[in-house]
Amino acid sequence: MASLLDIFGFLSVLLRAATLVFEALTVGGVIFRCAIARDNVSGARGLARCLIFSAGLLATVQAAYVGANSSILMASTGLAWDDVKGAEFCISGALTIAGAAMVAVFALGKPPLGTAACSIGCALILCGAVMTSHAVARLEHRWALAALTLTHHLAGDAWIGGMPYLVLSLRREPDPALAGRFSRMALISVVALAGAGAAMSAFYISSAGSLTGTAYGIMVLAKAFLTSVVVLLGALNRRALQRLARDSAHRLGAIASGPLRANLAASLLRVRKFAEVEAGIGITILLAAASLTSSPPAIDVQADRVTANEMADRMAPRWPRMETPRASELSPATPLPADLSSSMPGSFVPGEQVQPQTQADIAWSEYNHHWAGLIVGAIGLLSLAARRAAWARHWPLAFLGLAVFLLVRADSENWPLGPRGFWESFQVAEVAQHRLFVLLIVAFAAFEWRVQTSRVPMDRASLVFPAVCAVGGALLLTHSHSLGNIKEAFLVELSHLPLAILAVMAGWSRWLEIRVSPDPNRFSVRQAAPWIWPVCFILIGAILMNYREA
Amino acid sequence: MQIHLKTRNYPTFAAAMMLCACPAWAHAILMGASPAAHQIVSGKTVPIKLRFNSRIDGKRSKLTLLGPDGKERPLIVESQPASDTLAAKAEGLTPGSYVLRWQVLAADGHITRGEVPFKAQ
Repeated sequence: MASLLDIFGFLSVLLRAATLVFEALTVGGVIFRCAIARDNVSGARGLARCLIFSAGLLATVQAAYVGANSSILMASTGLAWDDVKGAEFCISGALTIAGAAMVAVFALGKPPLGTAACSIGCALILCGAVMTSHAVARLEHRWALAALTLTHHLAGDAWIGGMPYLVLSLRREPDPALAGRFSRMALISVVALAGAGAAMSAFYISSAGSLTGTAYGIMVLAKAFLTSVVVLLGALNRRALQRLARDSAHRLGAIASGPLRANLAASLLRVRKFAEVEAGIGITILLAAASLTSSPPAIDVQADRVTANEMADRMAPRWPRMETPRASELSPATPLPADLSSSMPGSFVPGEQVQPQTQADIAWSEYNHHWAGLIVGAIGLLSLAARRAAWARHWPLAFLGLAVFLLVRADSENWPLGPRGFWESFQVAEVAQHRLFVLLIVAFAAFEWRVQTSRVPMDRASLVFPAVCAVGGALLLTHSHSLGNIKEAFLVELSHLPLAILAVMAGWSRWLEIRVSPDPNRFSVRQAAPWIWPVCFILIGAILMNYREA
Repeated sequence: MQIHLKTRNYPTFAAAMMLCACPAWAHAILMGASPAAHQIVSGKTVPIKLRFNSRIDGKRSKLTLLGPDGKERPLIVESQPASDTLAAKAEGLTPGSYVLRWQVLAADGHITRGEVPFKAQ
């Protein structure tokens, strides 16, 4: 049972993240259709199909989330479904499912009935979202916080959720007026999003110490950083659109001529490809938000906050550890769930570490991180060298070394180094995940190697590597080490957060490099992109080589 | 489960940017407990009060007491004195070490678990 609970727990976090993403795509899609693509009849059916798909997935993941959470609750408390179904998360889930179903059913409906029904559906979805937010669980300022949360969701959904629809619309028909309308709505949304976010931070964080010394605080900082990157890209796109509008106005009489039409299409193609990156990073922000909703607000975490001095001490540069302790020196393997006498899969007393690390455990982990850092740093340097030296184009093969290293060393309690056998170790969800990721690393290293050495054409195949980097970084961002904000776990998380952000930046800058042709006439983010991702890899390597647990 | 994870097992996967989300049931946290962690109490009956940082669904939360004999018994959760508080009574205590185990459902749907060890004399 403990093993099942563990798997359900893992799934529930993923489902929560998926709920946020599909909520944005559903609500954002309805707003886009009603307010942005209003007279764009040619693409209406395509947008409606995407909307139906998003709403259907929202209903599905929400049902799965309620099911998983209910199962955990019933299995761990002995309650029956009749006792559980009245819980607030079940009611909010029902609202979300009903709202998503309404949107899916009426997405193809004509105004005013279709628009009204979809709007009601969105209202239900947003009510459901607010009901499972931190705001409703608070004892003080509940209604003010609920209003801010609603504003935050609505603005985020309109902006981030609308971006994929913008990309789809521009792919179908390069319409500068539509892009301009979206840009104006995005501007309003960003102001509302940032305003509501700042006001909520004043409630939930309240001091500089809790901003930098708690998991919640640093996740908010990460979210703010990524939001500023998307705002920067959006601002560049807005400027391009304004320039386009000016040029079009100057040459209004000649707009139908061939060269100008081609110029317009090329400019909007560029806008669309930048919007792909905006949408990708925007969805990453939603994943970070999912992580935030499952962390206690910083204001509630009083014990074990990490001070600036402690952070500076941990982050101070030191020489990497190149000697490993023997596996036999490590603390004994944790009993498998089946061996535990209690069905409780995990518990904690805030501020108290249940299973302290030994010196050998720490040395083992640091050695792993430092060698991984060396490999990743080398990948960054080799990818830079590959611009001059043909032999360096084989740099993706270095990932294979990393995969083997991880397979052998990441889970020392398990095969091949630990007492648990290969198949037995799959009972531990974390080990099963690691094995899956080793396979993925091998697969995408092979893929990128074929791209770099021109064994496959530079088309969609070349997007696999940046996509995997970006998705990996996004998943790392949703990862949380901290329960009850244990100090050591927080310090570990503090080093993983920059890694996640750098991975996201590496992935999307490489994506930009592949997707957008350089403009020789002006310097832009595109010109910097080929340098950004190798530098990100070098920085990831440097952070890993300086990683410490004590 | 995640409290059993050892950081040496935290994957260097970070290097490959491929770490996966882990469960983070960490919303409702204990702000105050009576008896407090590691407190020594006297008497056969001890009132228990746990205060959290958020509203708690008392009907769907549970308290159990692990006794010195290694047996775990459920405690009856009393009606909530406040929306953020759980109350119960531990009866028939004999001298020895106890662990109060709690599991709460927060109003936002998160399930959190924890322990409060104490001693009876």
